[in-house]
Parts: sequence; structure tokens; C-alpha cells
Amino acid sequence: MTSESTLFSNRWLPVLLVSPFMLLIVLFFYVPIFQAFYWSFFLEQPFGGGSMFVGFDNFARVLSDREFWQAGWRTIIFMVTASSLAVLIPLILAVAADRKIRLSLPARNVLVWPKGVAGASIGVVFAFVFNPFVGLLAPLNKAFPGIWAPGIDGTDAFITLIAAHVWSGIPFNFVILLAGLQSIPRTMHQAAAMDGAGPWRRIFDVQLPLIMPQLFLTLVLEFTESITSAFALIDTITHGGPGGATTLLVYKIYKDGFSGYDLSGASTQTAILMVFVILLTAAQFVFLGRRINYER
Amino acid sequence: MNAIDTAIRAAAASITVKGLTKAYDPQTVVIPPMDVELKAGEFTVVLGPSGCGKSTLLQMIAGLERVSGGKILIGTREVQDLEPKHRGCAMVFQNYALYPHMTVFENMAYSLKVAGMAKAERAERVAAVAKMLGLADYLHRKPGQLSGGQRQRVAIGRAIVREPGVLLFDEPLSNLDAQLRHDMRVELADLHRRIGATTVFVTHDQVEAMTLADRILILNKGRIEQFDTPKAIYHHPASVFVAKFIGAPPMNILPVTGDGSALRLADGQVVAHAPLTGAFQLGIRPEDIVVDGKADGHAVKAALRFREDLGSHSVLAADLGGSIVRIATPFGADIADRLELLLNFPTSRLHLFDAATGRAIPGAQ
Repeated sequence: MTSESTLFSNRWLPVLLVSPFMLLIVLFFYVPIFQAFYWSFFLEQPFGGGSMFVGFDNFARVLSDREFWQAGWRTIIFMVTASSLAVLIPLILAVAADRKIRLSLPARNVLVWPKGVAGASIGVVFAFVFNPFVGLLAPLNKAFPGIWAPGIDGTDAFITLIAAHVWSGIPFNFVILLAGLQSIPRTMHQAAAMDGAGPWRRIFDVQLPLIMPQLFLTLVLEFTESITSAFALIDTITHGGPGGATTLLVYKIYKDGFSGYDLSGASTQTAILMVFVILLTAAQFVFLGRRINYER
Repeated sequence: MNAIDTAIRAAAASITVKGLTKAYDPQTVVIPPMDVELKAGEFTVVLGPSGCGKSTLLQMIAGLERVSGGKILIGTREVQDLEPKHRGCAMVFQNYALYPHMTVFENMAYSLKVAGMAKAERAERVAAVAKMLGLADYLHRKPGQLSGGQRQRVAIGRAIVREPGVLLFDEPLSNLDAQLRHDMRVELADLHRRIGATTVFVTHDQVEAMTLADRILILNKGRIEQFDTPKAIYHHPASVFVAKFIGAPPMNILPVTGDGSALRLADGQVVAHAPLTGAFQLGIRPEDIVVDGKADGHAVKAALRFREDLGSHSVLAADLGGSIVRIATPFGADIADRLELLLNFPTSRLHLFDAATGRAIPGAQ
């Protein structure tokens, strides 16, 4: 192991170089998280003015709340469907682009652009795209009145959210997966072709096993991302409605905390969500990560 | 001899190439129309410098590269439009191209699995091949846990387990170090003697070609320079290109002029008597030149430039009429501190080539 002193002559220089970034994450991540955990054990006054230690009362209250479990359940459904689609669709696109099918070069560029669009903007665009009167599905409503009504039908609203989320997830996952596919040596395809495997068979026997590290990475990131980043989409497209059908945990936390002024309840839910994400990611590493062969 | 050997020997098919061409566009012709026939069970080495089209030829036989024109027959079957899997060829790649996520067993069994062979039969077949190649103890390992030589053997095993009619090798030894390359060469020769598969082996290494081949196909810019046994290619090169490509150090080529009775070097010295007129290229192998000794040729004077002592013999470089000639001479010749050498070119060892085309002049040797 090389010691730091061979890289930096002054031992405080590395600390100094890292400090701006450390300051940012401490200030905007660790402090609020610690605060949330702290508040979850106190009853906080809504407009400031002291707090009272209540032990696990907040947790008992939150965990016995039916709405919390509903929002949690929706979060899990959203996480599973949206993340799977947000990996599966880029995967299909990447396999196609890797095959050099027609128009794959322009498609490769076009597909990357959504990465530059902020979540809230995507929400505004999709609210318009899926608008039942003027959106893409409006003709469907003309033929079968009322079949697409995200403003009334919870399922339709949920589908809109998933579509927006998947769309915003395509660029990053596409780039990662395509890079993985392109790093597979050409002779590997040729060897499989000589062994008698057709193009479809090669996808499952050669390509997918060899991009497992990339698939794992995108899946882990998607799972965590889908839990938190859904906020911007919900806030712009559905506002949690109709009838709470799209109120995921992140949005419920925001509403409880900043509209309902239940700071303790919101903090408690944040703590619970946080622990859930940590456990989920750890589980992915334990059950999936170990089986992945990083060797080429 | 076991069942695998017999099956491969029985499956061995000839390869006939008729008017085969490859061109990426009218300006870039990789292989102009080529006709050649490789006999069943024969070990053919395709030899040439990089960019001569040898790998392209191999890939077209394998079906990995489309042909631009002409026919390829394996046995009596036309295969140029068939998918690789329907051609009955197996291939060993330069970088082995083993599946890193599969064990040695799975690597070797993959083609059988794709072909839909029953599990028990697969295991039996792989076990037989693994035993033959000394891989029986490594079947459960992944390629990443094997040495270069072992990976090479797995790649060969993966190819022969299907009992292919044709076995193709694309520079398979070039990734190995010198010692291992030598060992694998011996193993390959031994393997071919046992299984007798029709083998096409692409390389740019003349030593591999000389030691492994039944016949060597020498390519230059996509054209066949010569297709013959190693012995014939060494002793009767069909062109200057072949003469210079085979042998280490390569054959000396000197410009000579015939005045009707003798061949003269650029400085006027007579090297041989021949009733020829005009410009020629004279070839002589470094080991055929006699220093100081008596031989049936003419003696010419040359100035010694430097010598390399290789232990078993020395290689001298001498200036002869403005050209450098290399002479391989037995170790111990007392020439270390002399500047002028008397060289004798035995007439029976001379090769004569046309000055313009570089082709050998028949009967002139």
C-alpha cells in the first residue's frame, strides 16, 4: 500500500481538498438525516418552541396508521414496476443499438438527451402528454369515452407516473448497459456463432451474463432512485391524487411535514424509509452481488 | 484411439474454394478470385504477413465473414451462403474467446447443448475430450483460473468436442510466451496425428508453418504465392516473396546480370555460369554459402561487416557488390578478425528469379 505522503507532501492538503464536498454532504445530508432520527423520538411543536421526548410513541403512531401502510405498499409497487421497466427498456434499446440495427446511431444520441431534463420538467411534460383532453391518449377517449382518466382513475394516474419515471431513467441506464455490451469482445460473439447459437440465444447465453455487473449497478441505483426521485413527478403531475392513489411515502412525508406540520410524524416516516432503503440495498448486495462474476 | 478420434477422422472433409473473392468495395479488394483445394484430413497452414487476407479467408470458410463472390465447398456441399452452424466447422480463436462466466465443462459442452444433445451424452463426450487434452481435473474451473496453455487447450477442446469436419485455427499460439508456444506446437502436431481432422491454421509465424503443416499456403496481398509441402517451399520457393518469407535468416537475394555465358554481380564478379542474358535476381540461403572452402561454384570476395554468435552457429553479414549477404556458418570458423571473406556459392544451391515478376525461373537451379 502506498502511503498518502507519497502523493501529498502536506498531510492537511488532502483534507483541505475534500472539505468543500464534505461540508456539502454534511450540511445537506448527514445533519438533516440525524435531525430526522432525533425528531422521531420527540414530539415537535409545529411552529417551533420546544419539544418533548416521547420515546417510541411516534413509531407506534405511524406504524398503526393505515395510510402509512397504504403509502408504503404503493411505494413498493412503484419501486418494483418502475425500476424493472427502467432497466428492461434501456436493456432492449441497448441490445438493439449494439447490434447496429438501422438508425441505431442517431437513436443512441437522441436517447441520451432526457438525462439533461430535471424531474419537475419531465413531470410538467408528461402531465401534458397524458392529458385526457389534448394528450397522446385523447383520441382513445374520443373512441371510448372515459377509458383514460388519470384525474379520476387512480390506476391511470399511477401508470402516468411510472411512464414518466421510466422515461427519465432510460438515458443513464442505456449508456451504462450499452457500454457493457460494447465491451464484450467480438470474438465472443463469433465463438458463440460457431458453437451454433443464433442471435437470440446469444443474448441470453453470452451477452446478459457478461453484462451482469452493469445490470446489477443499474438495478441497485434504480431501486433507491425510484423511492426518492418520484417526488418531483408526483408533485408536478398528480399531487398524490386522485384520492391518494399516487401518494407514495416520499410525498406523504412531504405533505405530513410541510402541509400538516406533523414534523415528528414526518421525521419518523423518513427514518423508517431510510432504514428500508439501507436494508434493501444491503440485501441486493448480499443476494445478487455475490453471484456476479466481475471477471472478463 | 477412442471414439472421438475415430468420429473426427470419419467426419474430416475436404475444402474446395472456387473463384472466391472478398472486396469491401471495388477499390479495396482483400482477396482477388482464388482457387484452391485442401484435402480431407490435411493440415494446411495459411501463412502470410499481416494484411495479406489470411484471416479473412479463414473467416469466410467459417461463415463469420460474407463472401463477395465464388464458392466454398466443404466435402461436396456448397456452404458459402450457410450460417456458421450449418457448415460443420469449429474454430479456435487467437484470444481463445472462452465464455468467462462458464466453467471449463460448460464451455466445452455449450455447442452440444445448443445442438440439443442429451445431458448424459454431453457429459460423456466432454469427459472423453477433456481426458485426451489433460483437462479432466479442471472441468469445474472458470477460464479465469487457468493458465494460458490450459485456456488454449480448453479452446481446442471446445472445438473438437463437436467432432467437426473442419478445424480452423486463427493464430492460436500468438498470445503465448516462447516456451509455451513451442510446447503447444508439439501438442497440436500430436493432436492432429491422432484425430486427423481437416485443419486450416492461420499464422504469420514461419516456424509454426514449417513444423505443423502438411502443406503451406502462402498468401501475399490476397494472392496465392505458393501452395506446397514445407520441404518444397523451403527448397524450391516459387517466388522472391516466398524465398524471403521462409527461413531465418531469410534467403539472400542479389541482383545479377547474365551476359550469355555467366551471371555477374553488380560489381562484375562472376557467381555462376549460365547461358542466360538479361537481369535476374539470384537467391541463396545463408546456410548454403561456403566460407573459404572448396565447392562447385565460383568464389567471390566480400567484406565482413559484422557477426552474430548464436552458440550453435554464427551469422555473418558481408558486403557483396553493394548488397548485404547473410551467411550461416558453423560455430568456430576462424573468421572473427578478418575483414575480407572468400565466399563460394554452390551452383546446385542457387535460385534464380525473374527480375521483374519475382517468379522462379524453372529449371535454372
